[in-house]
Amino acid sequence: MKSLLKVSPSPHVRSVATTSSIMRDVIIALLPALIWGIYVFGFRALTLTAVSVGACVLSEFLFCKITKKEQSISDLSAVVTGLILAFNLPVTVPLWLPAVGGAFAIVIVKMLFGGIGKNFLNPALAARVFLFFSFPSLMSGTFVTPKVAKTLSPIAWGVDAVSSPTVLSQIEEGVDTNTVVDMFYGNIGGCIGEVSKLCLLIGFVYLLIRRVVSWHIPVAYLSVFFLLTFIFPRGEDEAINFALASLLSGGVVFGSLFMATDYATSPLSATGKLLYGALCGALTVFFRYFGSYPEGASFAILVMNTFVYYIDRLTKPTVFGGGANAKK
Amino acid sequence: MAQTFHGGIHIDENKNTAAMAARPFAEPKRVAISMQQHIGAPCVHSVAVGDHVDIGQCIGDNAGTLCCPVHASVSGTVVAIENRTGAMGAPVTHVVIENDCLHTVTPSLDPVTTSLDSLTPEEIVERVRKAGIVGMGGAAFPTYAKIKSAIGNAKRLIINCAECEPYITANHRLLLEQPEAVIKGIKILIYTLGVRKAVIAIEDNKKDVIELFEKHITDKALISIKVLKTKYPQGDERQIIYALYGKEIPAGKLPVDVGCVLFNPETVLSVYKALSTGMPVVHKRITVDGDAIKKPCNLIVPVGTSAAEIAELCGGTKKRFARLIFGGPMMGQAQWSMDSVVNKGTGALLFLSGVKEKQGQCIRCGRCVEACQMRLMPALLAAYSEKGNYNECEKLGALSCVECGCCTYVCPGKVPIVQYIRNAKGAINDARRRAKEQGGGKQ
Repeated sequence: MKSLLKVSPSPHVRSVATTSSIMRDVIIALLPALIWGIYVFGFRALTLTAVSVGACVLSEFLFCKITKKEQSISDLSAVVTGLILAFNLPVTVPLWLPAVGGAFAIVIVKMLFGGIGKNFLNPALAARVFLFFSFPSLMSGTFVTPKVAKTLSPIAWGVDAVSSPTVLSQIEEGVDTNTVVDMFYGNIGGCIGEVSKLCLLIGFVYLLIRRVVSWHIPVAYLSVFFLLTFIFPRGEDEAINFALASLLSGGVVFGSLFMATDYATSPLSATGKLLYGALCGALTVFFRYFGSYPEGASFAILVMNTFVYYIDRLTKPTVFGGGANAKK
Repeated sequence: MAQTFHGGIHIDENKNTAAMAARPFAEPKRVAISMQQHIGAPCVHSVAVGDHVDIGQCIGDNAGTLCCPVHASVSGTVVAIENRTGAMGAPVTHVVIENDCLHTVTPSLDPVTTSLDSLTPEEIVERVRKAGIVGMGGAAFPTYAKIKSAIGNAKRLIINCAECEPYITANHRLLLEQPEAVIKGIKILIYTLGVRKAVIAIEDNKKDVIELFEKHITDKALISIKVLKTKYPQGDERQIIYALYGKEIPAGKLPVDVGCVLFNPETVLSVYKALSTGMPVVHKRITVDGDAIKKPCNLIVPVGTSAAEIAELCGGTKKRFARLIFGGPMMGQAQWSMDSVVNKGTGALLFLSGVKEKQGQCIRCGRCVEACQMRLMPALLAAYSEKGNYNECEKLGALSCVECGCCTYVCPGKVPIVQYIRNAKGAINDARRRAKEQGGGKQ
């Protein structure tokens, strides 16, 4: 008998994009913000990021090893989780904190639910909130100005620093135009990767060009957020200033560009994405106004994560030939 | 502005053979004529081992059913009648003819010598049936049945020249090489169907054809050219009709239900040949290409020629050769063996290297949803199908899937989405049939 050929179901050609090429693009998109973080907060920012990424990759590696699953670290998604988690941390946290967070993100939030694509919460975000509630004094009490941050030791296990208030916690007292510009470029205190909206935008535009993400979620998110803060401003300042300062402070921009757009925890269809983004924006305002913490983006996105199944159902496109158009 | 549809994908066209004129290949050593080259009932062979046959001689038919007869594509001796694995994977009876290379044509050909309007549409339909003409774009639906169902129901005749699958240029070459014959074929169809005009729908990557036909078409009110954007799957009849008229064929219905009827240009050419020369479908235009064949080309081969003989003719296969695809890379059928033969519906033979992709996991990126022109949610369909939850697949519209492969092409996780949906469709159809049988039994 002659040798048989290999058969496989059609299609017989595939696009070059792979999960790891997509994750590589996301890593590239996060680099400007990381470099900026190191520039304003010093090398401790890099150390923390390295620990976070290392913890995530190692957790996934060990999880696969122990549970005898196929190794999945080469898809680079653990690296992305590590980066995003680190970006959510103040530079003053002890080095063990991102390690704990990374392990939580990967093992509890991602792998126990079946690994990439199967988790219903964004791992980095869930880990951030986990750390936030477990170590509140470390996570929110110690924001420092860039000037102070540069004096911190990059390798010390923990650091002592006098915290300074962030723009977000003072926002209702009004901020001047210079501050708004500083907020856009990222010359302010805050979390490692969140501060420079410019760098985040550069990274996001790269993802748009590479067609890794679509514009729907961030545009819906940010416009609803901006509109609500503009229509219902707080404090004595002008509405437009308040809305701008709100937009540029805290994690709204970072959250909308890089966390709300997480594939696994956002809807599939364009309509679904718009609805999801809009609800994220509204919830963020809600948490900021009525919650007991200044920040709202993390909670808003996490809450919306749990609604993705229903949004997918609700926004299911009408099948071709199944709608009103078909009866013409 | 070129017209088009929503969704779909842009793929590397790989139309490497577009400039290569089709070469006739008349002397395969043997041909194996499949008794099932169409959708419908298989033919019953009417020759025995040892019989001599001439080109064009009918060697199998099953009149009275949905069936297209098959004919000897070479002259010679029947050396075997055997069961072989057909192009779609099921066993089919094949009549194997050894070519005597004398090219003798059967004397029973019956060309139309009078003018066209001396024939009634019914007579033309019968001639189309006798000539064994099937949809040559790949579906292989009996053309006579299509014409019959369209007479009186279809107002719009569309010649589907999209050829949106990568690699394939067989129709492109045909249109360049035989514009007059195609136009005459279109006129026969216009007369038979009783429609007022025809539209040639063609993708904008075939500018040379568009120019040529602009020159050759004398009556522009009768035959017009509509240019479509080059995008896959532009050639799907639903998407052509949508691009041209903005109409969606309702789920589970046919083009004729929205007043349209579509033909592939090679089918049109076959209709013309069947009437003008009396010669039935015995030759097939194919594109031979792929990264594992030495000399890609366009060929006109006798129906029943084996892949092995074609590969030999094209300089042989390269070392990396691992897969043989009949048809385009998006919807074509992988073959087990080099003994597989060209059928009336075979548009291309692709010799490809091995699969490089490894199946991963769905990361919910949504690319499949964006690509699906049927507006399904392929990621969810695949996930439910994988779990065996076919009810959920049915609710999500799995039966509307046309299996074009866009979702699977774009999937970064390399999930064989279409295959999961095929499994679901099979299960849903089985369940429906069972329910019907039980319902019928009770009555």
